[in-house]
Amino acid sequence: MSDLEAWRAKAAAWCESMVPTFGKAARKGLSVEADLALGRRYQKAKFDAGYAGINWPKDVGGQGLGHIEKVSFEAEEMKHGFPNVYFGISLGMPVPVLMQFGSDRDFVKERVVKALQGEEIWCQLFSEPSGGTDLAGLRTRAETDGNGWKINGQKVWTSWAQYSDYGVIVVRTDPTVAKHKGLTYFWVDMKAPGVTVRPIKLAGGDSHVNEVFFDDVKISDDHRMSPVGGGFAVAIATLMIERYVATDSAGFGPHLDLFVELAKEVRLNGRPAIEDGRIRQQIARNYAMRAGLDSINLRARRMMEAGMTPGPEGSLNKLVAVRSRQKLSELAIDLQGAGGFAFDEHASPKDDWASSWINAPTGRIAGGSDETLLNTIAEKILGLPQDHRPDKGVPFNEIPA
Amino acid sequence: MSILYDEGQQAIATESRRVLEARMKKDDLLPLLETTGRYHEAFWTTAKEQGWTALALPEAHGGLALGLVEMGLVTHQAGRTLSGAPFLTSSFGVAKAIELYGSDAQKARWLPGLASGEAIGAVVFAAGPDALPAQPGITFTDDRLDGIGAGVTGGLAADVAIVFANGPGMPVLAIADLADTPRTAVASFDNSRCIADLEFRGTAAEALAVGSGARDASLHILALQAVITAHEQTGGAEALMEIARDYALTRKAFGQPIGAFQSIKHRIAELYGLVELARANCIHASSREGQADFITAAAAARLSATDAYDTAARDCIQIHGGIGVTWEIGLHLHMRRARSLALEQGSSLFWEDILVDRLAGEAA
Repeated sequence: MSDLEAWRAKAAAWCESMVPTFGKAARKGLSVEADLALGRRYQKAKFDAGYAGINWPKDVGGQGLGHIEKVSFEAEEMKHGFPNVYFGISLGMPVPVLMQFGSDRDFVKERVVKALQGEEIWCQLFSEPSGGTDLAGLRTRAETDGNGWKINGQKVWTSWAQYSDYGVIVVRTDPTVAKHKGLTYFWVDMKAPGVTVRPIKLAGGDSHVNEVFFDDVKISDDHRMSPVGGGFAVAIATLMIERYVATDSAGFGPHLDLFVELAKEVRLNGRPAIEDGRIRQQIARNYAMRAGLDSINLRARRMMEAGMTPGPEGSLNKLVAVRSRQKLSELAIDLQGAGGFAFDEHASPKDDWASSWINAPTGRIAGGSDETLLNTIAEKILGLPQDHRPDKGVPFNEIPA
Repeated sequence: MSILYDEGQQAIATESRRVLEARMKKDDLLPLLETTGRYHEAFWTTAKEQGWTALALPEAHGGLALGLVEMGLVTHQAGRTLSGAPFLTSSFGVAKAIELYGSDAQKARWLPGLASGEAIGAVVFAAGPDALPAQPGITFTDDRLDGIGAGVTGGLAADVAIVFANGPGMPVLAIADLADTPRTAVASFDNSRCIADLEFRGTAAEALAVGSGARDASLHILALQAVITAHEQTGGAEALMEIARDYALTRKAFGQPIGAFQSIKHRIAELYGLVELARANCIHASSREGQADFITAAAAARLSATDAYDTAARDCIQIHGGIGVTWEIGLHLHMRRARSLALEQGSSLFWEDILVDRLAGEAA
């Protein structure tokens, strides 16, 4: 057994040992608040066991290991449905950016450790009502105010803002230059006067995203994490940080073997649905697609182990997997017929077809829509031209609203 | 486990690509479409000279003792450049059957010739849409074959065939010398495949496997070939994606390259996805020979590669507009090959059933 295999086996055993306290059964029926409290305890246990901040530097509280150990742990952790969702964004983007760009290192270390322990949560304030994909088109502004800044405007789709202690934010500090040149990057205290958080109820019934309003929110200049006007580069760095995350070829929906089980149970035209050609074709096609992703991901892991950078084909994961999940979920509901109407809004999208189906559109939009991903593949991998952009080079305050 | 190619394997890929790109010309391939029964001799000469025919065969019989991974790398390149003959895969299938299930005498008789490329093999399994029929139409009685093997790829030029036949109360995988077997060329949309109907009339044959073992053996051979063909299909799809990309970068309409229109660029990005999924499944399948999940991995590779090549052919031509449907530009060479490769080694309909039987735990 290689060192990595041994490390992974130990991580797997630790995850198993956490199931009675933090697994799906332990979470069943909990309110969001109670589940979050359980999640904080889980995150603390993870930190104490040495599985938090796996690939982060030791001097800020991480474990100093590689991407491969991080991805291996996540693959094991993913099997059990632990309450870790509240910390995914926090530890995925804002906190790593703070580590990279925060100037007061003592402050940084204190925040990183508290975030790793689940005590504090960070959110990412990027998208606005005027645009998400077009990040540089944002309108929230910061004006100088004494030695500091005063923020006014609105953010939206901010995950877990209602439970967040801090956030990272991109705002416009100069509307007279081209849109991506007038942005600056700050961190903000989410409990500061003038910050108002309003949860948004989503189609599936949950409310993990929020509107966040800023009314004369005053911050000192030491909150600034980029040069004035240099915020866009830091924002892009934020989005690039998480190249090495565990993926799921089921698109974070039910795995294909659950569909096969369903098709074996259900009878269609007097025989098991698994014998129906239409059902068989969908099983086969989806299997081939997901197996391709599994193989891409396995190869990426092998490349990381060999000290190489994985190929760009990893960018297919979300695009392919969530579309597969969406259509397969529709078919699974079809298969249940009259029994398919039943809906439990607390069911998990990972093992309930209706929950998977109703939440699938979010997966195709959040974190880069299908269309954005296709553009990225076309432009960055294949070298095709950018779309026509009428606002290119135009000062922000001259772009027609 | 999915593999990373080592240096030797990367060298095989690079060298086969260099040789084929230098020697394969669309203008040599187009005339073959208009005549029945000819293949691109320059391709086959290259394959023999480069040792590709010997690649995955045992050293004791003139082979190079490499495996599916290396065969796949070569056929991927052959797919990119539209290999002008089908024998690399058909002879490989026959040779593997002899290696795995044949006697020492059969190996000594056939393997050196198949390894050098002097002998050509053909695989006679299919009946209509069924790549491995429950009741084969060809009979095997007292070591003699009778019946018609219809639509056999490479059949017109083959010296030896393996045949899935109906024996006395059980299926048989048999091997037959084709020296005296009458055959009729099938006029096809992809004529260089040398497709023929073979007429067995008391043709002397020897059994390689009988009963359920014959079926398992035949499916195994088919799966080995399917993995090779999947690489060839992926190579063809990859080439088409690149052709589409290059055209979209140069062709202008409404004052900009057509690749700046999302209807075009997204179509090409989708092709990229299909090609990479197929490639990943191919690499995985080529590393699973001898493992319990080999048939499953082969089926996944085959399904995704067929989808990738057919789709790339459709979309690449569509992106070209009018010029795409001309004889001279030759995109139809890929469109034709995409379909002939989709049928050889069993269509998607066959592999979907093979795959689902395994996923549902119903495989025989």
